[in-house]
Amino acid sequence: MRRTTLVTALAAGIAGALTLTACGGGGGGSSADSGEVTFWDTSGPNESPVFAKIAQDCATKGGYKVKTETVAFDQALNNYKTAAQGGQGPDVFRAEVAWVPQLAKLSYVMDLSGTDLAKDTSDFLETPLGSTKYDGKTYGVPQVTDSLALFYNKKKLADAGVEPPKTWDEVKAAAAKLGGEKTIFINNDAYYALPFIYGAGGDLVDADAKKIVVNSAQNVKALETAKGLLDAKAASTALDPANSYNNMQAAFSGGEVAMVINGPWSVADYLKGTAFADKTNLGIAPVPGETAGKGSAPVGGHDYVIRQGTKAKDSAQKLIACMSSTESQVQVAKELGLLPTRKSAYDNADVKANPIVSAFQPVATAAHARPWIPEGGQLFDPLKIAYADVLAGKKAPKAALDEVAKAYKDQVVTEYSIG
Amino acid sequence: MRRFLDRHWYAYAMVLPVVVVIAVLVLLPLAQGVFFTFTNINEGNIANPVLDRAATYAVVGLDNYLHVLSGDPSYGSFWSTLVRTLIWTFGCVFFHYTIGLVLALLLNRQVRGRTVYRVLLILPWAVPAFISAFAWKYMFNAQYGIINQVLRAVGLPDPVWLGQSDWALVAVMIVNIWLGVPFMMVALLGGLQAIPGDLYEAAEMDGASAWQRFRHVTLPGLQSVSSTVVLLGIIWTFNMFAVIYLITGPNPNTRILVTYAFERFFSGASRDYAVASTYGVLILSVLLVFASVYRRALRKQGEVW
Repeated sequence: MRRTTLVTALAAGIAGALTLTACGGGGGGSSADSGEVTFWDTSGPNESPVFAKIAQDCATKGGYKVKTETVAFDQALNNYKTAAQGGQGPDVFRAEVAWVPQLAKLSYVMDLSGTDLAKDTSDFLETPLGSTKYDGKTYGVPQVTDSLALFYNKKKLADAGVEPPKTWDEVKAAAAKLGGEKTIFINNDAYYALPFIYGAGGDLVDADAKKIVVNSAQNVKALETAKGLLDAKAASTALDPANSYNNMQAAFSGGEVAMVINGPWSVADYLKGTAFADKTNLGIAPVPGETAGKGSAPVGGHDYVIRQGTKAKDSAQKLIACMSSTESQVQVAKELGLLPTRKSAYDNADVKANPIVSAFQPVATAAHARPWIPEGGQLFDPLKIAYADVLAGKKAPKAALDEVAKAYKDQVVTEYSIG
Repeated sequence: MRRFLDRHWYAYAMVLPVVVVIAVLVLLPLAQGVFFTFTNINEGNIANPVLDRAATYAVVGLDNYLHVLSGDPSYGSFWSTLVRTLIWTFGCVFFHYTIGLVLALLLNRQVRGRTVYRVLLILPWAVPAFISAFAWKYMFNAQYGIINQVLRAVGLPDPVWLGQSDWALVAVMIVNIWLGVPFMMVALLGGLQAIPGDLYEAAEMDGASAWQRFRHVTLPGLQSVSSTVVLLGIIWTFNMFAVIYLITGPNPNTRILVTYAFERFFSGASRDYAVASTYGVLILSVLLVFASVYRRALRKQGEVW
């Protein structure tokens, strides 16, 4: 008798445990809209309030609720993937352009092909729009586009009698007048190696030929150029990668260095600095290249995506439609100087008058396209370590890039061939 | 059997929940983790009931172990990482213990304001690890950090602490030692206060010098506390993730086994669950071997626990 109770209790317990796990796995099947949208914003503290306000206005107009959560950009992809895998996370996510194909391949984001969001995309610029496509389907809506440019301190360059350099050799030559190492700050992060690489005619992978070309002769040359600037005492860098970006911002906005390479998102930081109390002192030019006019920076930017399994499908779509509308993009461009992805937004007089937008527009239009492959975002981690090693003089460019190629082959694009 | 169960059913019923909980929370995930090491599982082929996706990973035998144990750089250079992990672990625990012991001896005396010192010395332990980590990251900043400013001011060379060199390992070790000393100090202080004072009096009567009293009364009296805290310290330090990752990120010069496992499991690069699990199993094996050797050594000295 006693044993039977025990067995029953045990069986009930196990059954209970099984139901619990089943519950955890299922859910999310209903199509009813909850009317509450959680939006993960990955922009920094300068930009986030503007996006949050636009999202709030959209929600008020559209008759649904929105909750904006700010997520640190460098943690965002990781956190999103972890959350989405468990059926949690935001309904709308601001994803970097390289993340979208990856999230689409892993089916963490909703296929928007059949929805209103994918219907009329003729107003969007070609390149940013390309990042929302994977395997012939649409997975996102372009939010902003950007690229890297050369920022310079107009007063410093004018005092030294130097024109904004068009080639890396000109940077070296200008160093004599601009105070040697104080000429330019090189951030030792992978993304900031791309202007050197693209400018030298190199690339990371050749997606069409399924080849890894990161250790090509052009790229070796590119890293030699970057290291050469440091060796010639024409540039400085923070050799500690963890502090590199912040030191770059501090050095430039404090007026310590004359030039940096960065994107439009950094403008708000710079304008807070003592060197740019007078806004007009901030100059923007295309990045230098190996030869004049051949400078080339990567296409960047962000897309809105909807999480697969969201409980607020309709509201999320409404929110994205509203936030990517021409009016919203104009507002973002006016207040933050970020580049719209809609052609019609550039027709707005206020946007045209914005000095940052007008300076960056030609840069972004001429920017070097990145391969829209799922692994696109994963190409940076190995390159980041190699680039930092090269700039610190720990490894020769060729040896470091060979290791990156091997890491790509082993971990990232396993079906590609090297060379 | 029947009589046995009749007599002891109550005891079994009491134990059962614990057994079930341990099986579900510990043994099952462990077995699953070990199984993953023989597959090529990653984010793309794992089953996902939320997204209605079935598993498509395949069993690949010992491939993961072969890749990792060959010391291949794109699989984390296992052997040099292991050596670095050992340097990190024993370096940290050695300084934890010695500094902790010295502080405990100082605080065990009758000094004015003893409580204040104790509170101050325990503070690093009370601050959340990530706050300490970020604070130290600022202090180690090669250009603007206070440490290098001081070094420059007194005319010493100022290394790039958190860069691509072994200085980075030194830097994170300094932080971890700073973080771990309070625990050692408090534990050893407790041990010191448990040593009866008459032992010291008797030793003094016999003409033992201060060093002899320390060597023959204090150290043996501390042995049971020491052996436990050192073992704990070694396991904690071996698996210390937060300090290293928050301060230097994925820097190969500070890479230890757990941070690499994390890089493979979570960082954007690959989410390679198979290789990460392989590292997990290898870490577990290293610690098991170490713990059993350690225990045997202690048992030889007559210690039982």
